[in-house]
Amino acid sequence: MIMEFEKLQEIIADVMNVTKDDVQPETKFVEDLSADSLDILQIITELEEAFDIEIDNEDADKIVTVQDAVDQIKKVVE
Amino acid sequence: MSEMTRVALDAMGGDNAPGEMVKGAVEAVKKRKDIKVLLTGREEVLKQELSAYTYPQEQIEIVHAEEVIETAEPPVAAIRTKKDSSLVTALKLVKRGEADAFVSAGNSGAVLAGGQILVGKIKGVERAPLAPLIPTAKGVALLIDCGANVDARPSHLVQFAQMGSIYMEHIVGKKNPRVGIVNIGAEEEKGNALVKETFPLLKACKDINFAGSVEAREIPAGEVDVVVCEAFVGNVILKLYEGVGGTLIHKIKASMMTSLRSKIGALLVKPALKATLKDFDASQYGGAPLLGLKGLVVKTHGNSTSKEVCTSITQCVSFKEQQINEKIQEAIGRPEDAKSVSG
Repeated sequence: MIMEFEKLQEIIADVMNVTKDDVQPETKFVEDLSADSLDILQIITELEEAFDIEIDNEDADKIVTVQDAVDQIKKVVE
Repeated sequence: MSEMTRVALDAMGGDNAPGEMVKGAVEAVKKRKDIKVLLTGREEVLKQELSAYTYPQEQIEIVHAEEVIETAEPPVAAIRTKKDSSLVTALKLVKRGEADAFVSAGNSGAVLAGGQILVGKIKGVERAPLAPLIPTAKGVALLIDCGANVDARPSHLVQFAQMGSIYMEHIVGKKNPRVGIVNIGAEEEKGNALVKETFPLLKACKDINFAGSVEAREIPAGEVDVVVCEAFVGNVILKLYEGVGGTLIHKIKASMMTSLRSKIGALLVKPALKATLKDFDASQYGGAPLLGLKGLVVKTHGNSTSKEVCTSITQCVSFKEQQINEKIQEAIGRPEDAKSVSG
């Protein structure tokens, strides 16, 4: 799962224009990265492309932290 | 011959789709040899529409998409669930680099959301504003933002000023465009919290020619070339502009028909009036670009006819030739300098 986390970190850092160090499992998209709903959806869309997965809209709505996104990737991949 | 500009046109979006979309595409490729239009939508429908025209065949291609996002559909849900829609298919062509630009008269929310979600923002751009040209006494001005970001922050407005200045200089040809922030008075101390916080930031921004506050009545006079505001204010201004313009034209026409004298006068003044009213014809300005995205996304009016569609397509050539996105990246995007939020 380390490789997936690193890829996720890269995507988030790129979209939000922050450093990778700012993207940790406990990081909150809204409170810590100032992401709005479209930023989060852009990140989810890029994740889906990078991992060739599809995340349900209902599950996408539940993503608050970076760890939540990791868990969603795990859920779909497994 | 200059490089081909490939424009992905959502042929099923808008009140007059697909007929006027296809007609607009045909008009565009007949006008310019350096455009290729990728029509997205139901193949059999688009083939049927195209069969009515003679045009350079190599300049129009159909990319099949089965679904259509309707005007009233919740935009984000539609983008996420209708992955085979004409709108999403066209945006993905830009995302994959198979098209340089996207044009749609369809669901506005879906275009705005889809532009950011699927095409993505240039690194460093915080928000992507919708920026239509509006007529003024001195030509045109750029109203930025008029619909994409209802709750903007001061840093967003500064970026809008930067992007708007680049657009006005390189697309409209206005050297050193004057930038104004919409306000309820001329003084720096006037305005709401957003305007008061943004004003000093605009003053300090070296990339722009900041002229200060601009009151609503000064906008049609052309006192500034780039009119900066948050989307709520911008949308009100735009709709009021359209409403006043339409009402004025209607009342002038009606009053000219009231008596024989006025009818004769109308005949005499008609050529001059026609030339003036042409400035208020939205179709000549094309669509509104969503600035700051990795590819050009253009939203044209929902009730666009072929004329607006053709203009929206051909405007994409200048955007590409002038390398607007590269200039925005240079001015705003600093990939090696990503900010650390943890200080």
